[in-house]
Amino acid sequence: MKITRKALPRRTILRGMGAAVGLPFLDAMLPAMATPAQAAVAKAPVRLAFAYVPNGIIMNHWNPSYEGQLGELPRILKAMEPHRDDILMLGNLTHNTGRALLDGAGDHGRCSGSYLTGIQVKKTMVDIKAGVSCDQIVAKHLGEQTRFPSLEVGMEDARQAGDCDSGYSCAYTNNLAWKSETQPLPPLLDPRAMFERLFGTGAVRSPEAKARQADYRRSILDFVNAETGQLKATLGPSDNRKLDEYLTSIREVERQIDRAEKTNAQIDPKMEKPYGVPADFSEHFKLMTDMITIAFQADLTRVVTFLMTREGTSRPYRELDIADGHHPCTHHMNKPDLIEKVIRINTYHVAQMAGWVEKLKTTKESTGSLLDNMMLVYGAGLSDGNRHLHEDLPTILIGKGGNTIKPGRRIVFRRETPMCNMHLALMERMGVHMEHFGDATGQLNLAELS
Amino acid sequence: MQFSGLTKPPIGVVFDSALGDGIDDVLALALLYALEGKSETRVVSTSTTKSTLRSAMFAEALTKFLMGPPPPRPAPGVFAGFQRPVPAIGMADNGKLAQDTPVLRAVLDRKNDQGEPLYPRAITRLNETADPAALIRNALTAQNDENCLVLLAGPATNLAAMMALRGSMELIRAKVKVLMLAWGSYPEGAADPNVKADLAAARQLLTAWPTTVVAVGAELGTAVPFPGESFGKDFAWSTSHPILDACLAYHAQPYDVPASALAAALYSIRPDSGFTTSAPGTISVLDDGRLRFAPGAGGKHSYLLADPARKAEIQRTYVELVSAKPLPRPMRRRIPEKKEEVPPASIKPPEPRTGPL
Repeated sequence: MKITRKALPRRTILRGMGAAVGLPFLDAMLPAMATPAQAAVAKAPVRLAFAYVPNGIIMNHWNPSYEGQLGELPRILKAMEPHRDDILMLGNLTHNTGRALLDGAGDHGRCSGSYLTGIQVKKTMVDIKAGVSCDQIVAKHLGEQTRFPSLEVGMEDARQAGDCDSGYSCAYTNNLAWKSETQPLPPLLDPRAMFERLFGTGAVRSPEAKARQADYRRSILDFVNAETGQLKATLGPSDNRKLDEYLTSIREVERQIDRAEKTNAQIDPKMEKPYGVPADFSEHFKLMTDMITIAFQADLTRVVTFLMTREGTSRPYRELDIADGHHPCTHHMNKPDLIEKVIRINTYHVAQMAGWVEKLKTTKESTGSLLDNMMLVYGAGLSDGNRHLHEDLPTILIGKGGNTIKPGRRIVFRRETPMCNMHLALMERMGVHMEHFGDATGQLNLAELS
Repeated sequence: MQFSGLTKPPIGVVFDSALGDGIDDVLALALLYALEGKSETRVVSTSTTKSTLRSAMFAEALTKFLMGPPPPRPAPGVFAGFQRPVPAIGMADNGKLAQDTPVLRAVLDRKNDQGEPLYPRAITRLNETADPAALIRNALTAQNDENCLVLLAGPATNLAAMMALRGSMELIRAKVKVLMLAWGSYPEGAADPNVKADLAAARQLLTAWPTTVVAVGAELGTAVPFPGESFGKDFAWSTSHPILDACLAYHAQPYDVPASALAAALYSIRPDSGFTTSAPGTISVLDDGRLRFAPGAGGKHSYLLADPARKAEIQRTYVELVSAKPLPRPMRRRIPEKKEEVPPASIKPPEPRTGPL
């Protein structure tokens, strides 16, 4: 790396053996005598992320009884109350293509496959067919502006294959992002793998080399020490502080992964899931979202899909003393005890999200916080999981999208408003103008969003 | 896409009208729900071109009444199946408030002893109605091929908006068997207010609609009206009936209601009920809102003719169906009741299997 007195390029990377660490936006990246036009160019980019939760939500504990400015939030969303000025609740969005439409049972497989593609996916276990998902359209458009066009992240083992729901291939439930109509992009769920993807050079290292690094407990940051030192010498105090905070967050993620690997190895040396996956849901969630945050911060990507758990999952929530599977609980048949369990799971998921939102909010950028420059959609492909309803899908849009969205409100659209109308509006804000997408009837009323 | 494992249900009906302006369309909707009760059809979408919430509320109140009473609530914690929900009502929103009418007032403003609406409905805001174009399009996507018909008894605004959606024309071509049009007089007659209300949409509909169109003119509606005397006796099974209230408000009784929409509804589901169609041809829209039928081989349009000899029979069918008492809404799925355990009969030999597997 050659450091000059000129503005530091935005895509500066600290390199070392097998390591490539991108940087957050620093003041030094702005020309010293920046004109307003130059400053505008240096403005933090807008990022798009989708976080998906399966099996629907108990909607009467999700939807507030009012529209307009957000006040007290219902039970499931309570943890979001400190962030209510950053969220836009969208009501009545519908995914018609998730409905049966003559294809019979299989709402979980369908709704997951259609969520970002807007396509009625083919009912098959073999020759899968969906469509290019909106995140991938944006990723393709942004192309080489970032190191990774997109990141696909998950938290549940997606190695299941075959029939995952009444004749629907597991490909529909294992993946959110589709690069082509036949090519889903599997999410990364192992924190170690994701860490290496973000900060490795992509070179394949031998198991021995990996073991050596592990033995010496060396951080990836150790490998870029020399370049870090050189860079720091050229930065002002404010940038140095920013850089320290950033590198510390990477180190913290690394420590968490090490800890998880050590713990898992002690619990069960023969465990099937990758060693880096923490057994605890919230710990895993924090690790993955911390890394997504770093990836956004360093502009390694601007597009993320995050499949928290798979549609139809029967994961128990022992963290909440819920031994029953999530999916069976959602078919509660109006039994209060099962409904209560689903509410607790829904609430737990939102609480994790609230923690992430806090992190995004406290991560500073050239213009405001990282959250200000984000459009983070948190939602599900089913509303009522008991009845498998595909209308009034639970959807919150978090962040200000680079000041193009005015959060802090609840907007309820007309019934049957396609979810794809929202996708069109989000793509527009990411610089992709499309007349049609899925079953959209037009963009969501932009005036209402901004 | 067809799913081979399911049997084909009765034909679906997309119903669109300017609900609240007249009474013929109200009678038609009642007839369709009566036929739904007999499993001869399914009303898959209801929408109004009248741009006022009052029209949507009216449609919802009628729908709720005609779908029949909901099943009794099960005890808390007991699951008896899913109630069939009252479907979304589509409503055109052109930004201008359409006029209130005596028909709307008669149904919507009636209160019970507690001061609540006599005919309950849930719609209170625009976002509780659906965009009619999306609603109709979505309804079509859920139908088997050629197992749907569209009945239009109002301006063509909503259908034209639906036709403008990407992929809709292919959808109509695949799913819709016929468009029934309660418009005009044939072969030629006076201007039709529904055509005049949106001339451009009417033209687009008649030139671009890809399936067969059967029009039912005012001349047929007048020749075979719904008998007014029925209002005095056949609706008495209910202490209050929205159809009766609407009809009484529309015109002083006794009044035989010209019934072109009603004929369209009956013919579309029971084509052998006393009607025939004209030779094929083409209906064109004149600038003053009149329609003109020009016969011609290869034309996709025709108009309906009633057999005068069967007038009384048709009217009896109208009355029987429109005034029918709605059946209680069945639950959508029931958990099989737990059978009492019977101790196994160890000696008795198994009975031979007679039914299907």
